[in-house]
Amino acid sequence: MKHIEQIPNKGILLFKTCMVSNEYPGIESSSTYAFDRLDIDYFVSDEQSCCTGLGFYFDLFDQLSTTAIAARNFAIAKKNGYPNITTMCSTCYAINKKACSLLNKNEEVRTKINSIFKQAGFDDLIYEQNSLDQVDNFYHVVEIFLGKTKRIGALNRIDFSGVRVAAHHACHYYKIHYDDVIGNPENPQLIDTVAKSCGTDVVEWYEDRTLTCGAGFSQRHINRETSLKVTHAKLESLKSAGIDLMLHMCPNCQIQYDRYQPVIEKEFGTKYDFVHMHISQFVALALGADPDKVCGFGTHSVRLDDFLNSLK
Amino acid sequence: MIEEATEKISGYEIPECETLVEIVKKSLRTSDNIGIDRCMQCGACTASCPAARFTDYNPRQVVKRVMENDFSVIEDKIIWNCFYCYTCHLRCPRNNSPSQVVQVLRQLSINEGIGLDKIDMLFEYGNVFAEMGVSTLPPLYLQQMKNDFDKRWFEFKKNLDAVRSELELGPIKIRENGHHEIRIILEETGFFERIERLKKWQTQKRIQNKVAREMGNETYRTNPE
Ligand code: SF4
Ligand code: SF4
Repeated sequence: MKHIEQIPNKGILLFKTCMVSNEYPGIESSSTYAFDRLDIDYFVSDEQSCCTGLGFYFDLFDQLSTTAIAARNFAIAKKNGYPNITTMCSTCYAINKKACSLLNKNEEVRTKINSIFKQAGFDDLIYEQNSLDQVDNFYHVVEIFLGKTKRIGALNRIDFSGVRVAAHHACHYYKIHYDDVIGNPENPQLIDTVAKSCGTDVVEWYEDRTLTCGAGFSQRHINRETSLKVTHAKLESLKSAGIDLMLHMCPNCQIQYDRYQPVIEKEFGTKYDFVHMHISQFVALALGADPDKVCGFGTHSVRLDDFLNSLK
Repeated sequence: MIEEATEKISGYEIPECETLVEIVKKSLRTSDNIGIDRCMQCGACTASCPAARFTDYNPRQVVKRVMENDFSVIEDKIIWNCFYCYTCHLRCPRNNSPSQVVQVLRQLSINEGIGLDKIDMLFEYGNVFAEMGVSTLPPLYLQQMKNDFDKRWFEFKKNLDAVRSELELGPIKIRENGHHEIRIILEETGFFERIERLKKWQTQKRIQNKVAREMGNETYRTNPE
């Protein structure tokens, strides 16, 4: 288990994520806004590529290629002096951790990848064993926020009292590398704790709390009906819990809930009156960020206007 | 069987072994200490599996077939129902991971030319990734989203660059010091050769299926040899 005391506040590479960049760019601007206010020492690199996770879990990318791409990103993090790779997406988190573990523990893989780099003249990319640690150098933004809850609570500018919040902890954060979760992987509380620090009324448990979002990588496309049934089941359990806001930590989950909520309303003949945000957008909003110019709520499918107007 | 071009990758994904259990244990995709041969058929995986809740898929059963070395499991379309949510991986009391087992089965399946229709929408993904350094959703997938979502979403996608600059974010495309590092890395791991092989294969399969259809007999599986 990882402990709060281990969470760094410097040397953080804010790892760019394809689905944030393409679907919810406001998650990235919210993360940097929040980090600035919380005095987090971070860096965003224009050289860092995304993790290939989407292709990997679509059964297209292989583990060797994914690990080689990760090694290139690790070199960028180290070269710039920001070795604490911190992601906004749960799949980037899991992919990078696994790649690091392979590079440290599997000599054949490390040698193979380093020989590719050497042959191509990319000497600066060569991975030295244990130059990063698969536990101590990999974080998710929600962990960074968890280490700063007191400060977030003190700087919070919005009265969230009475706002019913439910958390969806992303599967690839707590179910893959379950030994490294902060807290109990059977009932992770990271998002809940951050939301509580801003005075929200957090729904502790709801039916289907641990159910996957339903995106399932290729499932949304090749088994669309099942994919939406899963999402519908979860949305129904949130409706019964009477929530106003659902908080996420993964852009793929956010697509599945925010973009597909109106689709499910239409196809299942139902109605939901709650909105969605990523934990970074929530923290940025609490710290005074502009809902459009920083949080980028205009890119969401479920409109947040009424929700935002109801806040004092 | 898959040819030289893809063997570079296959060796890591699907090492040459006698049994399915051995392949699963040695594949780079699975955890070092995966407890496949410790599975006690308790069904905790199935009890917590979303795919089992909504379809006929049953991870305990899939693991059983792997333990029995039943190669026909790779031809069973049911393996394409897993969400890769890893709930089974978290819950299994024997440190097994049906989620990772299924990933290996799908790779075996793809290498046999089965199930290419489940991934062909992504064949161009590697090129886009090599060019941009960022993954984007494949056109077919995007088309689905375009059908599903309202016009506002489509407008946003068209104006993505403007939206990003309003949020003071840089360009999506990454900087590579003029090296094309990503393309070269993926060429050297054998990624592109494999995709080209799969693409060719899929085209052959379509032609064969067309002929078979005309003769009143459609095939699901195609082995080019
Ligand atoms: S939970 Fe683990 S031990 Fe139990 S049936 Fe599933 S794979 Fe086997
Ligand atoms: S990863 Fe697949 S088998 Fe495991 S619980 Fe999720 S859907 Fe079921």
